[in-house]
Amino acid sequence: MSNDFYTSSILPYAAIIIKICRAYTNTQEDFEDYYQEVCLQIWRSNENFRGQSEWSTWIYRLSLNVCLTLLKKNSKHHVTSDQLPDVAAEDNRTFDDESLNHLYTAIKQLSEIDRAVVLLYLEEKSYQEIAEIIGTNPNNIGVRVKRIKERLKKILDGKVN
Amino acid sequence: MEKSIETIWKEGFLESDALVAPKLNDLYNQKSKHIIDKFKRMFRINLNALFIGSFVILIASGVVGIPVMGIGYFFILNAILLVNRKLMKGLFKIDKNVNSYQYLKSFDNWMKEQLAVNRKLARYYYPLFFLFMVLGFWFSQDIQETFKGILERPNQIYLINNIPVLWTIPVVIITGLLAYFGDRIYNFDVSLIYGQVFRKLDELIADIEELRA
Repeated sequence: MSNDFYTSSILPYAAIIIKICRAYTNTQEDFEDYYQEVCLQIWRSNENFRGQSEWSTWIYRLSLNVCLTLLKKNSKHHVTSDQLPDVAAEDNRTFDDESLNHLYTAIKQLSEIDRAVVLLYLEEKSYQEIAEIIGTNPNNIGVRVKRIKERLKKILDGKVN
Repeated sequence: MEKSIETIWKEGFLESDALVAPKLNDLYNQKSKHIIDKFKRMFRINLNALFIGSFVILIASGVVGIPVMGIGYFFILNAILLVNRKLMKGLFKIDKNVNSYQYLKSFDNWMKEQLAVNRKLARYYYPLFFLFMVLGFWFSQDIQETFKGILERPNQIYLINNIPVLWTIPVVIITGLLAYFGDRIYNFDVSLIYGQVFRKLDELIADIEELRA
């Protein structure tokens, strides 16, 4: 990866990668590994980008793929991607914004795919784009987002563990 | 009023330190290993394909009645294979326990050396491939029967020692051209297969050199 490629094609979208990697890791060390792996993967697959979608959409898709793959690889237990995660290890990382910390904690209690859906929703991706990125039917996304939001609300309200 | 998750998300990331990209560590080492491992895999696959291909051609040429071509190709392909297997040993001797720049440079040097050897070889094997193809067809039963038929007709063909001299002229010209352009054909051939790896390698070396400057 040339410095130019990182500066011009990845760094402007670093926020996307950071937000996603953060949602799939529990430690700063893991987060940095995931971030690095995503950057590496973007560089590797740069030539496969055909411009059929936005570059940012490509980055979302790759970031999620890498995170889900790494998560599976690192998981000691065999879990399918749509199962509820194991009880998350304690995450000592904090943002300055307390509400955001709570929201991230809540998001991390969702299944891996639900986490992807809600991250994309919060990034203001359309249902169509979300469906394209995670490779599902757009008709289901609206219902799924509604269900996830309700669950997040319950978690944030302390009704759900 | 309670904030929605959308608001929490938006406002939370307005904080300047919330989205600081982590420093990329060891990225060049990973990329160097990735490129070289990818090349090794491709190189090994190609050598295996040559080996299998040489047998397939040998058998197929016997079946379709042009065994001379098959035997010729078999020996040429296995000669290429032998040379490249020897070259590959050098590739596996490259020390991985050095920094990424030295690793890449060693690989690059090995690559240049093997390309030079193969380029020289190509000036011989491309014409040989062509010659064995011509000989294969020439000695095939069908062509021989057709040729006999032509010879039975008077003044059809000019022969010296039973060799149709005029027919050999295009063969000699094409063989000469293949020998002359063999290295360029090889370059084209290689760029089709390994072009992407070479580009990434050059880019990476240039990048590291820029950082070291």
